[in-house]
Amino acid sequence: MRVGLFVTCLVDLMRPRIGFAAIELLEAAGCEVVVPATQTCCGQPAWNSGDRASAAKLAKKVIAEFEGFAYVVAPSGSCADHIRNGYPGILADEPAWLARATALSSRVFELTDFLVNVAKLETLPGNFSGSVTYHDSCAGLRSLGIKAQPRALLAKLPQVSLKEMNAAEECCGFGGTFSVKFGDISAAIAEKKCNNAVATEADAIVGGDLGCLLNIEGKLRRMGDETTQVLHIAEVLTAK
Amino acid sequence: MESRSHRFKENAAAALANPVLQASMKKAKGKFVDKRAIAIKEIDDFEGTREAAKQLRDRVLENLDLWLEKFESNATARGATVLWAKDGEEICRHVAEIGKRHGIKKAVKSKSMLSEEAGLNQALEANGIQPVETDLGEYILQINNNEPPSHIIAPVVHKSLDEVADLFEKVHKTPRKTEIPALTREAREVLRTHFLTADMGISGGNFLVAETGSVALVTNEGNGRMVTTLPRVHVVITGIEKVIPTLEDLSTLMRLLPRSATGQSISNYVSVLTGTKAADELDGPEHLYYILVDNGRADVIGSEFQEMLRCIRCGACMNHCPVYQAIGGHAYGWVYPGPMGSVLTPLYTGLENAIDLPHAATLCNQCGVVCPVKIPLPDLLRKLREKQTDRNLRPWLERAALKAWAFVAASPTLYALGVWFGVRYLKWLAGGKASIPVLSVAPEWTRGRDFPAPEGRTFRELYAQRKQP
Amino acid sequence: MSSREDILARVRQKLGRNETNAAVARAEIDTVLAAKAQGPRPQVDAEKSALVGRLIDKSRAYSSTVDQVATRGEAPAAIARYLIGLGLPAQAVIWPKLADLDWASAGVIVQARAAQDADLVGITGCFCAVAETGTLMLCGSVDSPAAISLLPETHIAIVPASRIVPGMEEAFALARKELGQLPRAVNFISGPSRTGDIEQTIVLGAHGPYRVHLILIDGA
Ligand code: SF4
Repeated sequence: MRVGLFVTCLVDLMRPRIGFAAIELLEAAGCEVVVPATQTCCGQPAWNSGDRASAAKLAKKVIAEFEGFAYVVAPSGSCADHIRNGYPGILADEPAWLARATALSSRVFELTDFLVNVAKLETLPGNFSGSVTYHDSCAGLRSLGIKAQPRALLAKLPQVSLKEMNAAEECCGFGGTFSVKFGDISAAIAEKKCNNAVATEADAIVGGDLGCLLNIEGKLRRMGDETTQVLHIAEVLTAK
Repeated sequence: MESRSHRFKENAAAALANPVLQASMKKAKGKFVDKRAIAIKEIDDFEGTREAAKQLRDRVLENLDLWLEKFESNATARGATVLWAKDGEEICRHVAEIGKRHGIKKAVKSKSMLSEEAGLNQALEANGIQPVETDLGEYILQINNNEPPSHIIAPVVHKSLDEVADLFEKVHKTPRKTEIPALTREAREVLRTHFLTADMGISGGNFLVAETGSVALVTNEGNGRMVTTLPRVHVVITGIEKVIPTLEDLSTLMRLLPRSATGQSISNYVSVLTGTKAADELDGPEHLYYILVDNGRADVIGSEFQEMLRCIRCGACMNHCPVYQAIGGHAYGWVYPGPMGSVLTPLYTGLENAIDLPHAATLCNQCGVVCPVKIPLPDLLRKLREKQTDRNLRPWLERAALKAWAFVAASPTLYALGVWFGVRYLKWLAGGKASIPVLSVAPEWTRGRDFPAPEGRTFRELYAQRKQP
Repeated sequence: MSSREDILARVRQKLGRNETNAAVARAEIDTVLAAKAQGPRPQVDAEKSALVGRLIDKSRAYSSTVDQVATRGEAPAAIARYLIGLGLPAQAVIWPKLADLDWASAGVIVQARAAQDADLVGITGCFCAVAETGTLMLCGSVDSPAAISLLPETHIAIVPASRIVPGMEEAFALARKELGQLPRAVNFISGPSRTGDIEQTIVLGAHGPYRVHLILIDGA
């Protein structure tokens, strides 16, 4: 199975290890992983800011780079959702591109969804030990139905215990550009998320979207919590 | 009502710094969200019911002109007078004229958001008619110097018990009461006198039933029944989009509205009112007027925002909104807060007058998921952002930055260069620490949070290296 | 141009209205109005004892109280017992429709007229009752004025078991069948009036009754 890995711009810049962890997991599931070198960003910031032209330009770029693969996988529910469900709408007025966007759409997956439902990964390469609490990021949860998948994978790690937090499905306040346009509101929402997460006394807050994780980690540290780890699910599943 | 939506950011900052508001919002949230979650389980096919509601609302909007005519002719046949108003000013003019015609001195009102849109109370006073708000929440606001509501179904959700106790003591000049039932009884007694002495009742309308020419009113307190039963004249003020076809459709919507709004299986009172009282009837109004209001709605018909007109004003979107939860309703600056308000305010008061609202959302889609008529609120917010961009309404710097970023992101070489520098700059700022406390390029981020430090090299660099042994 | 014409003209223009599509749409509207299609319904067992049981359960869930008697003639005595039990005056304003019952023997002083502020107890019948949500449907008319179920602090409703229907749809269908056109004031009542406006704490007895008591007539 030839899988194109969409690394995402945040992972590229901030947390390369998540990209490598994703590769490790996909390979453990028997996939041949290809990382197109020219990839940049899926264009979601432009789309959500109301810049259709830029969003369309970047959408076409991603489609051209990835349409040759059997599957496209991203370690982010938000980016996967944008490529899967956003592109057809963005390119609705250009029939040729719309057809290509639609053809790609059903082959785009968020990492844990792909591992559980397509690749059917049985044995994980990692053996993380500790307690974790899982934050359900919005786009993955509400658009792609990512809820059971990461938990199913965590359940395969014998030394991991999952402590569910209150309101795990509530937004962390990140919201992409929202976090830098309305920083105070964003941080206030993040504080509630952090309080809920910390109340579980889990060793690590885990999620599937780096944007949310940076937001949570940033707030947590500002609140003076230096010990609770904030990790991407791929890091947990591959931790040695 | 004058819009203060252009000052969203200042309003929000004040709200975040207001401890009473913060405490009140926290208390309310659990009740609304948890109760709704339980109540919707009583319906075997909740999703199917939502879909049916969406379809029946769409059915009307797609032929709104003809449904309005149908409603009008059926309502008129039962003795009602149907008036039309283009804007708030015309609502006020109509009500003033009706008041004059029937020699009205006092009007009791049950909640009508349209009367808020129009600033009707001030107009009534100017015409010698005393307006009395009778919904407990609206009454509290009225006696507090006409404070605007902060929620469409729970107008004083932002207030604490203490604040209400102080207010009643001051305004009613009675000994201070601290129990909610005692305060409620005090308001009941004050308002009972008004009900019995008013000669006009003004209500909103949850739905207009085309089949029968009726208005459906949904309330818990019973004030809606009072204002439509006791005074001689009843005036219904409602938006042109509120028409529904049949009583069966009303039945479907009544499975959704109370559950979505307050988590009740049904509201205490659902009144379906048609026409005027017969000569020998013992109660009921002698005159019934409908004022069907446009105030921006007609222009939304047939546009990419038409779906917004399905709204049945349940408030679920705001109850579930993380932003609304954080700042309350006043910050939004006009009549409608939360996600639905962030769509309606720019549509009804002008895109340029509510620049921030469409952006004041994380697009988490919790609102879209709970909306009983399936309005894709995040999509509509995003479309409004697009409209702003098309009309060059966004700040110059923001547009320039976006364009520059998109230009770079479209070119793999430039992009690689950009992130190469970017990651090193951030790493340097972190100075060996795990977090960056102040980030001058994103001051909004670091005012309330740290910015986590990057690992130090980009994925693309490391991957390229790994591939070359 | 009048506002009516102005508003409708803009709606028509936005919808791309012309004579041809107007004719099609009018036909559609007539079909919709005739079809009276229902949405999905929660399961409600329509068997009589099940309807009675559900009405009782749901009414209680809405803070109403319920008493059951065999015949309509027993209602005044049951009402007298209820009023005495609560220490309320055995004095009430009633629907003119109920004036034929023997109130005197039960010791309840009644007046059939419009309700006034001073009335403490209001006694009504109902057009029918909706089992799905524990809801009374009252139709205001000459012999059943609406304010009797509204102004007094205590509302007592006499509900014949044969008049319990599964849902609101059946209630409306019954009104169409028996009354022809919808009466002026149809009020669906589910329990005492309430408010949650102050700190979202529910308080019974907002502007309407503090208490709603149902007398279910099994044999009627
Ligand atoms: S938009 Fe939907 S959820 Fe919000 S008030 Fe309207 S109907 Fe309710």
